[in-house]
Amino acid sequence: MKYFAGIDIGSTAIKITIIDENKEMVGHRISGSGSMFYKYAQQTLGDLLKDLNISDEDVCYRVATGYGRKLFKEADENISEITANAIGAVAAAKEFGAIKTIINIGGQDSKAISLDDQGNVVNFAMNDRCAAGTGKFLDACAMNLEIGVEELGERHFNATGTPLSINSTCAVFAESEIIGLLGNSHSVEDIVSGVHYSIAKRIVKLVKRVGVKEGIYFDGGPALNGGLVNAIENEIGQKIFIPKHPQVTTSFGAAILGVDSYNYQNSGL
Amino acid sequence: MTSIQEHKQKHKIETPNEKQNRHKAMEAIKVLNTLKEGFKEPPKAMSYFYDLFEEVYCHQKALHTDKVKVGTMCIQIPSEIIYALDGVPIRLCNGFYTDDEIGSDLLPQKACPLVKASVGHLSSKNLTDKPDMIYSPTTCDQKTKAGTLISSFGYDVVDVDFPRTKESEISREFFRRSIRDFSVDLSHKMGRKLTKKNLRASISKIGYAQSLYHRLSEFRKSKIVPILGNDMFIVTNAFFFDKLDNWIEATEKLVQELEQRVKENLHVAGKVSPRIVYTGSPPIFPNYKIPLIIEDSDAIIVADETCSSNRMFNDRVAVDEWFVNDMIDSLADKYLKACTCPVFSKNDDRIRRIIELVRSHNADGVIYQAFAGCTVYELEQRSVLEAMEKEGISILYIESDYSPSQHGQLSTRVEAFVESLKIKNRNRK
Repeated sequence: MKYFAGIDIGSTAIKITIIDENKEMVGHRISGSGSMFYKYAQQTLGDLLKDLNISDEDVCYRVATGYGRKLFKEADENISEITANAIGAVAAAKEFGAIKTIINIGGQDSKAISLDDQGNVVNFAMNDRCAAGTGKFLDACAMNLEIGVEELGERHFNATGTPLSINSTCAVFAESEIIGLLGNSHSVEDIVSGVHYSIAKRIVKLVKRVGVKEGIYFDGGPALNGGLVNAIENEIGQKIFIPKHPQVTTSFGAAILGVDSYNYQNSGL
Repeated sequence: MTSIQEHKQKHKIETPNEKQNRHKAMEAIKVLNTLKEGFKEPPKAMSYFYDLFEEVYCHQKALHTDKVKVGTMCIQIPSEIIYALDGVPIRLCNGFYTDDEIGSDLLPQKACPLVKASVGHLSSKNLTDKPDMIYSPTTCDQKTKAGTLISSFGYDVVDVDFPRTKESEISREFFRRSIRDFSVDLSHKMGRKLTKKNLRASISKIGYAQSLYHRLSEFRKSKIVPILGNDMFIVTNAFFFDKLDNWIEATEKLVQELEQRVKENLHVAGKVSPRIVYTGSPPIFPNYKIPLIIEDSDAIIVADETCSSNRMFNDRVAVDEWFVNDMIDSLADKYLKACTCPVFSKNDDRIRRIIELVRSHNADGVIYQAFAGCTVYELEQRSVLEAMEKEGISILYIESDYSPSQHGQLSTRVEAFVESLKIKNRNRK
């Protein structure tokens, strides 16, 4: 059996997906990026292959993507995370139907990608100027509230009052807003749902720049946060599809591209 | 993973109206919390007003289910006539960014946010006290055109002709006729007649409400200012839609409490906080962006010259003879002659009013806000600035809109102005 690896080196996490030649996912692994992207990426790939009982030689093509993609020297090819995300989303959402828009919230940026009927990228918008509306923003808010980032979803649904909006776009200023709200003994739940709606509004503005269409796919770590998903669905006014493994869509896409590249290169053309 | 799928099944997606309500509730609660928590202890009597706004804007409570609601698009429709005919005037001028964004799809990008918000709100049809009819005075261009647009949403909108000059005898006669027509039209719709008795009663009741406002204003003239300018805006804003008797009762209580506060030397600002007269485009709840920045920058608003506050209460109706026709004419005169809206060709009255407020309230400076797109206030900025300069009154001109985003930049400008006033005061001593 031939295997293919997609390695997505992001600002916060390294995501690796292994697929077989039929483009079926065999396994995936996520680890923190830490300070040494390259070393950790190598280590994570090694660990994953060991777990899956796949030898290094059976991996015939490696595609790197993400901010740290150029640092991964063993890669046979590297592609931008936008293309990889689109390919991965279309494949992961097969049972859901056609994907027209992808929302990706990463550690340090957020993106909206618009696709045509064939699944090609036609337009994208990106918020990469600051941490507003990103995973880092959620991390910072959870930290100020002294709760774990994984608790945010549950807390959101337990809110009983009006969500308390955070007007500051800047994560640093938002911190003082949150501390002010806590100081006046507002409930953590109402603040959490306010944080989610503040991010959701920003994300929906981003999506509007590429055009809101039916068939929205949401991935990246924050897609694991049910509260944020709920807020975005309310802001955009339609259901959005969350894949089974929202963090690895992009590495999955990179691996799929690996299969195509490998087949093309070995087809004798 | 499963938890998300479970949540998704449990939680329905909001309808557009639910979403609009939530957005507005979020805007409203933000301002109310800031007022309650961000400053020195507010008067206890303010809680009536805070609760009123919370009920209406966070919980969509309708206040006038048993009455005919008469929507007004501007300040120039005499509420005395509406009350006399047993209707309730609802001023439709809107301060929500949520509604401004809805209105942006219907009006030009550069249009005034107040007009966009009012149009957006009415286009959504999501109103708790939905007006049964709307009277639209033809004041500025945007409001005039908005009236026609709103009637296309299916509302019963009646234009009330309004002149653009106020010095001439022609304009006086013109507006008198206009208000007579309005009275006849409303009488027909309400199936009631204006009588000597009901009109006189409502004129004196509104007059009493005005006198309460004047008593509140008196407190703000002294060195000890017992109430924030922002709280005053809340009180006058409630007049847009509250039950008149409730408003009067709550304001009476506020007056009493402020009397007590003055005796106790309770000053709501700092010792050296500069005193500001606020003028320009009206702050309408929850768009208290600039007033909140001002009072958050260690200054205090001691008076205002706006159509959402001072202009509603400042001038009383002067009646010669208490006959129905004379009262209607007197009302028309009051709503035209006393108006200091920049729609008028010549508007020296406004400059005189601002100077008078600065002098009577011992203000240190003036802050003039114009909404980006509120052309008449933008146009009049120059003449007001020149007049203030001549009088030696410091003034800051700010252009802004309803979006919550430029807070940082705006507060830096306001802070710098406030600091300059402090330094001036110090040097004077």
